[in-house]
Amino acid sequence: MNGRNGVYRLPTVLLLLVVLHFTLRPWLGEPRPAPDFLLLALLVYAIRARPGAAAIAGFIVGLLSDALTPVAFGAGALAHTVVGYLAAWGKAIFFAENLAVNAGFFFAGTWVRDLLVLVGGGHVEGMGLVWQLLLWSPLKAASTALVGVIVLVIFRRWLAIRIAE
Amino acid sequence: MTFASERYASRRDTLAFIVCLLLSITIRMTPAAWHDRVSAQLQNTLLRPLLALQGWAESVRTTRERFARVVAERDSAAVVATLADALREENAQLRAMLGLRQRLPVRHVPAEVLHQSLPTDGFTLLISAGRRQGVRVLSPVVASGGLVGVVRSVGGNTSVVVAWAHPDFRASAMTADGAVFGIAAPFGGGDPGGPLLELQGVPYREELIPGTRVYTSGLATGEGGIYPRGIPIGTILSVREELAGWARTYLVLPAVHPASISHVMVLLDTRADLTESFVPPEP
Repeated sequence: MNGRNGVYRLPTVLLLLVVLHFTLRPWLGEPRPAPDFLLLALLVYAIRARPGAAAIAGFIVGLLSDALTPVAFGAGALAHTVVGYLAAWGKAIFFAENLAVNAGFFFAGTWVRDLLVLVGGGHVEGMGLVWQLLLWSPLKAASTALVGVIVLVIFRRWLAIRIAE
Repeated sequence: MTFASERYASRRDTLAFIVCLLLSITIRMTPAAWHDRVSAQLQNTLLRPLLALQGWAESVRTTRERFARVVAERDSAAVVATLADALREENAQLRAMLGLRQRLPVRHVPAEVLHQSLPTDGFTLLISAGRRQGVRVLSPVVASGGLVGVVRSVGGNTSVVVAWAHPDFRASAMTADGAVFGIAAPFGGGDPGGPLLELQGVPYREELIPGTRVYTSGLATGEGGIYPRGIPIGTILSVREELAGWARTYLVLPAVHPASISHVMVLLDTRADLTESFVPPEP
């Protein structure tokens, strides 16, 4: 990231994802498998940030998500904190520059977030939990991963990410 | 991208993580009333512009859908107008297509559902109508198919609805003829399309056949009751459980799936019988 403009590039991408979350998602039909742009913003931030900063960002994103779906208030904050921290920490270890690995990173982040929210909330049990974790969450994780890869490809220069062919 | 050696978690990172984790757990353990207050505060401040954006996007999308439907209805009406004998029948069909809003005999507020991405969306719903539109806590919420839930907290321009899928939801229910009563509650079974309902406490001597429609009973409406009489809840599927010689619990296919609906009506009056207000489901 070079020059003065570079300072604004990451926040611009994150802001774009936040705006897309609230404007584009309603147009994508069935909400359950629709991509989670807000979580994607957190994961993209985690790629660039230190684990501590990613954990704090995760806590804030989770708290806001809890405010929008106050079923198990705090479970979202906990889940996003863990995912943010692990994502930043995991990227530090793997520093993958392969698109497929990045897609797997977004997929895993989304699925683990859903798992933690559901377990932390304790509202879904039995077969309902199984269906959620084996059907809806993987579908959402896959769509989020797809959008994540598109974002990385489009904004790889802005995000200073080198992607191997 | 920076190298791994620069990015491993330092002591400060670990500390930040632990503090956020402890804060999350503390928040999780605070009372539900506090959760509603904090949610309302965040919705009315930090999230307000974003929710306004989402409300705008939802209304643009549904407006387009409604416009397409109105055009289709107009075209149909133009064709039918040439056939006077069929006019009455077609009129009835068009009225059915126009849906619930024109038929509801009580004051109501339309609202868009602002779906969120957490997997618990569907237990509660955020809707684009609040105190300024006249919504109050404990107002019943319906969709064109039937019962959605009840308003739990109200903000300026948004409200949180507890949908029937929420584990705490209960509603007094009855069959169409008003002969059999029970309590409708969510059943978290293994349906990939969403949870089912169950009708609890049906007297053992009363047997319900699959396909029987279940409505809100309207018991004690206006005297502490919440739901007016006659809102469709769902259709009996099968017996789920029998307390020998005492009571049965039936599985109910819900009339509305909260996780999939896009707009709802918040009822402002509850002293009415709405049995005739809902379009029967297609066979």
